[in-house]
Amino acid sequence: MKTVISSWLLFRLLFRPTEVFEELSETRPEPHSVFFKYVLWLAIIPPIFAYIGASNFGWRIGAAEPLFVPAGDLVVISMAYFFALLFVYVSTAIVAQWMAATYGARHSLGIHFALVTIIAAPLVVGSTMHLFPSIFLNVLVFIPTVMWSMYLLYKGLPIVLRISPERGMLMASALIGYLLVAAVSFLGLTVALLGRGIGPSIGV
Amino acid sequence: MTGLELHKKLEENAFLLIFGILAVSAIGGLVQVLPSIFQESLITPTSTTKPYGAVQLAGRDIYIREGCSVCHSQQIRPLLAEVKRYGPYTRAGETVYDRPFLWGSKRTGPDLQRVGGKYSDLWHELHLTDPRAVVVNSIMPAYPWLAEREANADGDIQLKMRALRKLGHPYTDEEIAAAPELLAGLTDLDVLVAYLQVLGVSQSPGDTP
Amino acid sequence: MFAVLWAVIGMSVGVYVAAELLWPTLDFGQPWLSFGRLRPLHTNGVIFGFGVSALMGTAFYSVQRTCHVPLFAPKLAWFVAIGWQLCVLTGGLSLLAGWTSSKEYAELEWPFDIAIALLWVGFGIVFFGTIAKRRIKPIYISNWFYGGLIIVIAMLHIINSLAIPVTLSKSYSLFAGAPDAIVQWWYGHNAVGFLLTGGFLGMMYYFLPKQANRPIWSYRLSIVAFWAFTYSYIWAGPHHLHYNAVPDWVQSLAVGMSLVLLAPSWASMINGIMTVSGASEKLKTDPALKFIVLSLAFYGLATFEGPMMAIKSVNAISHFTDWTIGHVHSGALGWNALITFGTFYFLVPRLVGASLYSVRLANIHFWLALAGTMLYVLAMWGAGVSQGLLWLSLDEIGELSFSFKDIMASMPPYYALRFVAGLIFLSGAVLMTFNFYMTIRGQRTIEVEPPPVASHRLST
Repeated sequence: MKTVISSWLLFRLLFRPTEVFEELSETRPEPHSVFFKYVLWLAIIPPIFAYIGASNFGWRIGAAEPLFVPAGDLVVISMAYFFALLFVYVSTAIVAQWMAATYGARHSLGIHFALVTIIAAPLVVGSTMHLFPSIFLNVLVFIPTVMWSMYLLYKGLPIVLRISPERGMLMASALIGYLLVAAVSFLGLTVALLGRGIGPSIGV
Repeated sequence: MTGLELHKKLEENAFLLIFGILAVSAIGGLVQVLPSIFQESLITPTSTTKPYGAVQLAGRDIYIREGCSVCHSQQIRPLLAEVKRYGPYTRAGETVYDRPFLWGSKRTGPDLQRVGGKYSDLWHELHLTDPRAVVVNSIMPAYPWLAEREANADGDIQLKMRALRKLGHPYTDEEIAAAPELLAGLTDLDVLVAYLQVLGVSQSPGDTP
Repeated sequence: MFAVLWAVIGMSVGVYVAAELLWPTLDFGQPWLSFGRLRPLHTNGVIFGFGVSALMGTAFYSVQRTCHVPLFAPKLAWFVAIGWQLCVLTGGLSLLAGWTSSKEYAELEWPFDIAIALLWVGFGIVFFGTIAKRRIKPIYISNWFYGGLIIVIAMLHIINSLAIPVTLSKSYSLFAGAPDAIVQWWYGHNAVGFLLTGGFLGMMYYFLPKQANRPIWSYRLSIVAFWAFTYSYIWAGPHHLHYNAVPDWVQSLAVGMSLVLLAPSWASMINGIMTVSGASEKLKTDPALKFIVLSLAFYGLATFEGPMMAIKSVNAISHFTDWTIGHVHSGALGWNALITFGTFYFLVPRLVGASLYSVRLANIHFWLALAGTMLYVLAMWGAGVSQGLLWLSLDEIGELSFSFKDIMASMPPYYALRFVAGLIFLSGAVLMTFNFYMTIRGQRTIEVEPPPVASHRLST
């Protein structure tokens, strides 16, 4: 069984997702190789775009003029974004691996890392919108992007983890439950921190 | 008896189950709700809070009827920006004559707790009849029918005041007798504006810290 | 069937009011189309029309199956069912006429309050009467949740509706100001808790194992979950009143107990997920299970988001914003509607002894429901968090950064997304209505004998 994933796979994901899933199901990647070869680089892209956008155009949060946050604060925010992405990525993979036993799916951490990478790929593409940080436009782009990701999740999970489509549907739904909770937790955490004055001073 | 065995008794006896549910669910209310609704600070008016006069009362009931509290809150929170935007935060003692309370749970439009005196009567009339005439991007619906209806059309203002008096509002007999005259010739719009103009005026924190 | 009808009606009103927030002249100058009157029509229509009808229907069905006896006092049951529909219908019309108490989910004025109380007593008599007649000793867990629904809602409704009537259409509440707020949200939160959460958990505990063809994963967990749930939910009411003029100790208790509530809520969710985890083969042929499985994911979201929003520092940002609306709909659409749809896809074919007209339509409905819910939630998260942060924003010299008007002006895009989301969700519900119509057309409901009881389980 192959232990290395070709980078080309990520590109082919756009046009031939099923083939990509099938190829992945034949591989047995090492977690650290997936992490250092792909995840780190994919996760750094959104924060970089966000930094560029925020410093050049300013945050447009709807009312009145764009908000320019000092460069130092922007770097901190971008780094926090990066680490948050890594955290979500690793935790989702681990949660998926934990669920694998219940659904009879493949257990190797590496394949779960690979699966989450594939599913998150559209989100990285969608993060291009960060180059123009209008909140509404980002929400607008995020929606089809996240739908595409969910499609990849439901379609790809059973193939990659080698379980029946029905079981895959159950496991994917459970994973979505986890992701929703993680998303709302980040929302709440961010808001609570901002409210306490920790974070960029938008004056709350 | 182990927990599971004890529970078996509950499962096999409908009465025990009903009673158990009632008892367990009542605890929260008994501890949290009951004492607080009798707490002095919540039922004592502030030194400057007065019950609504007949005209304002009629207006308040229109505010309720048209569902204004669905979009407008009347509750200023003790948060810096909020106090800056709307005025002193709401004390419980200001709301003792509010039946029902109109604190609201959504601000599609701004808070109205202290809107009294901030805009002229004419502004309110224009705004209620066509919000977009005075606030360009407003999404508030228009209320043109308010100007077309008489305030005391149902003739129930005295009934209302008597009912409120039973509930503890200090209305005198003279006030109740004089009520229909005060409403004569006024439309729903007039009384609603009268109510809005008294918000934050007939009730205010007074000396309450 | 009424539940399906109310789903379509109530959700249509919802979509209409969403449109009104975009185009306020949609009321065409008519008082009965005005947002302030239509919004309670939407909430009452979906909660009391759709929700309660679904709960009554599924409760009456499942209590017979689990107690192995036919319904106690069937004529009373019919009276309750039809009476309830009439009550909701006339109540809805009264809301359009402006008869309202303004207290959320308790807007209906006193004549309807009395009617509701009487019908509810009837509901209780039929339900518990059937349980009393049961042929096996233990009362199945779904009946505890339905029973909890009946008892607690009765208590809440009666106390919160206490008022002095003035005219047929107007009453003044017994409580005023802060006490009124506390009582209202003790009622309001627990109406959500015991009706929309507990009652539907009752639905889940019966229909999920039935469809998955497996027993509930952990019986012990369900016991703990039930009692912890019944105990702790009640305390959470005042989290609707954070930073409002109510005592700090009341608010703090609400925070604590809201967080505690997370555990029993999730216990039931886990029970459901684990029960269904081994039942995947059924998904091939049965769209119903898909709905129930997804509903559990949203249940997890909503019951996590709730306690999180009950934390004061989060609440300072979220209170009064569209985030609250987003939270409501993640639960109402993602959990309540989805699990009811799943249950109905299971139940309707069975009740007429025929198979579902179109499995394909049901699958399309599934994706529409998922898309609509997600779009709604994301739009409202965007709107709500923006509003909350912007309202509280101060600039470097300590003055307000943004006027209310300007913040308001930036909301329409999110409202437009929400309107589209509602349309998508509604279209799914319409497909379902059509599917059911075609399924039951020309069929009669079948008579079913109560399931036989193995002799060793008979109560003596």
